[in-house]
Amino acid sequence: MGRMKKPDGKVVLLGDMNVGKTSLLHRYMERRFQDTVSTVGGAFYLKQWGPYNVSIWDTAGREQFHGLGSMYCRGAAAVILTYDVNNVQSLIELEDRFLALTDSASTDCIFAIVGNKVDLTDECALLPETEDESRSKKPITSCITAKAQKQVHVEDAVALYKRILKYKLLDEKDAPAAEKMCFETSAKTGYKVDYLFETVFDMVVPLILQHRAEGLPQTVDISIYKPAKQAKSGCCA
Amino acid sequence: MEAADPDVPPAKGEGLEIPGEQTGPCPTETDGDEPDSVPEELCAIPAEPDSVVEEAGAEPDSVPEDLGTIPAEPPAPQSNGPLSTADGKVDAREELSDKELSDSASTDNVLEDSSEFGPPAVAVGGSGGPAGEEVVVPAVTTHRDEDVTAESWRKRRKHVFVLSEAGKPIYSRYGNEEALSSTMGVMMALVSFIQSGDNAIRSICSDDRKLVFVQQGPLVLVSVSRTLQSEQQLRQELLYVYYQIISMLTQVSITRIFERKKNYDLRRLLAGSEKILDRLLNLVESDPSFLLNAVRCLPLPASLRDSLGALLQKAITSNLVFSILVARSQLVTTVQEKTVIEDCRLEPTDLHLLLNLISATSAFQAGEIWTPICLPRFNPDGYFYAYISYLDAECTVCLILLSTDKESFYSVSDCKKRIEEGMRTQGYLQALSAGGSSQSPSYSVGLVGVPDLRHFMYKPLDIPENYRQLPQFTSPELESPYHSERERHRLFDLYHYLHSRIHSGCRPLRLIYHVAAKETLLAWVTSKFELYTCFSPLVTKAGAINVLTKLLRWIKKEEDRLFIRYPPRYSPTPNPGKSVKGGRSDGAENGFFAGL
Repeated sequence: MGRMKKPDGKVVLLGDMNVGKTSLLHRYMERRFQDTVSTVGGAFYLKQWGPYNVSIWDTAGREQFHGLGSMYCRGAAAVILTYDVNNVQSLIELEDRFLALTDSASTDCIFAIVGNKVDLTDECALLPETEDESRSKKPITSCITAKAQKQVHVEDAVALYKRILKYKLLDEKDAPAAEKMCFETSAKTGYKVDYLFETVFDMVVPLILQHRAEGLPQTVDISIYKPAKQAKSGCCA
Repeated sequence: MEAADPDVPPAKGEGLEIPGEQTGPCPTETDGDEPDSVPEELCAIPAEPDSVVEEAGAEPDSVPEDLGTIPAEPPAPQSNGPLSTADGKVDAREELSDKELSDSASTDNVLEDSSEFGPPAVAVGGSGGPAGEEVVVPAVTTHRDEDVTAESWRKRRKHVFVLSEAGKPIYSRYGNEEALSSTMGVMMALVSFIQSGDNAIRSICSDDRKLVFVQQGPLVLVSVSRTLQSEQQLRQELLYVYYQIISMLTQVSITRIFERKKNYDLRRLLAGSEKILDRLLNLVESDPSFLLNAVRCLPLPASLRDSLGALLQKAITSNLVFSILVARSQLVTTVQEKTVIEDCRLEPTDLHLLLNLISATSAFQAGEIWTPICLPRFNPDGYFYAYISYLDAECTVCLILLSTDKESFYSVSDCKKRIEEGMRTQGYLQALSAGGSSQSPSYSVGLVGVPDLRHFMYKPLDIPENYRQLPQFTSPELESPYHSERERHRLFDLYHYLHSRIHSGCRPLRLIYHVAAKETLLAWVTSKFELYTCFSPLVTKAGAINVLTKLLRWIKKEEDRLFIRYPPRYSPTPNPGKSVKGGRSDGAENGFFAGL
């Protein structure tokens, strides 16, 4: 049974329902946007990142599954807190409902705050050129629909990030900079989705190495360690 | 009478009047209808002597029922234990409810605009009736956005509502629950009014629709239906809805929530699950699995099914209780932990609800889902942890592993890897995906080789108890005349009708030969099987019987492919070497067709 790939580090997506967690992951893993329906429980994905296997847990945002959040978060190396930029409440929920779930995460867990669905805002105009290699065939359609005034701005996310550090009793100087860890994405157009996941994975790698050095198990058990070959081989397999 | 000459009927022999369908041709059919239908219903297949007796017994009953379809429904009061007093008559009951509407409206301000619901649902017969055809409902973006004051909303074939005892809306199949809160208030008022008389409301019948009420703990479920389903069948559907809710939340937690806070808004917990319930309600209407309460297996060579079962049997870990392999939404095989099988078995209901939940949930192949799920018939208060993963890129082959241990994701995931590897190396996966064209999961009725036969549903009943077998059935794909949703509904209306006659609480039948407008149907139940068949309209009675004989012979020949006959199980300790074989060893005829 030792032949199976054991995950080296865990990344968890948290956030209210309908903010687009599954869509983000779907965009990243399958390179396309697809209408999804509500996730049940949590879904587990394995992503080869250089020599490492990063496990990603896409959790259900529904309150029904709230009790499970801390289970999915256990030992997580990174937590991606996701909100919808058009929905203030979804940002508030991150602090009210989801932050406490991360208590079971690894003590040096990295936090990223992601505002999704920027394609629906009036700032959408900037999207195509910044991410013109986005594989979606026609981002045009997404821009025709009436744009709403963006409800949540990056500054709000940055403020939340700082409060999270405080909650975690972390010094701002030791943690990654807020500006670096707050993202705005669009799963629909693909805008900054890769950037988000790649940034997070790159930051998880040193944690994996550190944990290995300390011999800490990240998840249930780690039966085999592949010796860390090169620190970072850049991109996905 | 017509019975002697069954060749003629199709033209005028509308044994069954479908109010919603009788558009042009025969609006006055009711008159000519009754003499026809009596003998038709009566005609028994000579081969089965006892069925003649049963049929004769049924005669007096079948007359009024056939005629009046909905308004008559006289057996309702009888089956209506809890409803006492003057409720014996339908009219009386309607009056009561009418009065109830106004009464409570004046006392309880929740019901202020109860008029909105009053006229259409209870007294609606006249207004909605004549034009009550299956009006093509304008396509609304989603059912949630539907305008609940629109005529099209009222014309829906079947509404289903779920509300809390405090009258709070929880779910509506069409339209936003919020917009329906006053309507739901009225429903709750009806329920509690009857309750205050130490009674329970079960149903209200009007000209063209039935309202059925089911109360389960703190939840009230209401169905408002224009279909021909019996009260019993509608009740069963509501129970499916209830169980689906339980499968997500468990019974204890719902009870506990409402104990703590009577007016809790359960939608908070169910938010996002509406699609699961929507999908369930669509399925219930056109998937015989629900009507027959049995599982449809993917037709497979027995050897392949056995090998797959053996594979599941080997790939186990502690706390694994059920392993279920599904392809194209049909069961391939299922393996149970041995001690579990001794006191319980997997209920078809639980499997249906589980599969519905999975299909209504987003997934793509790379992901492995880990979620708590309750099997309400198995244990309404406990959670299993379900591991769900697709084995092929098209997401047609799905593996479900149920564990009792919340923390066992990684070890269960490892079982999947072993199963997947085994299937790949043996080429089983290709065999499963190639088992039919991707669109038709089952088989064509043409395989039976009788031209008059259009469709059938066959459920063996004589499964030996020691196998603790899942009730199963087999049924071909719906073909040409039944492609459209409308025709499918029509056929299933007929099946539902036959089913309700066969399973009528007060006067069950063994055999019905039923000539409908566009097809002829025959339903037959013996101690060995339950069978529903649909023929082309021109079949003769002798012809139909002939077809039945051929069909039964065909099923007998194919039974190893169509059914799981020797369900495997595994031992409680994850020791593949010692796992118990499914019982093939005793070699005895399992009796599926012993009587034929």
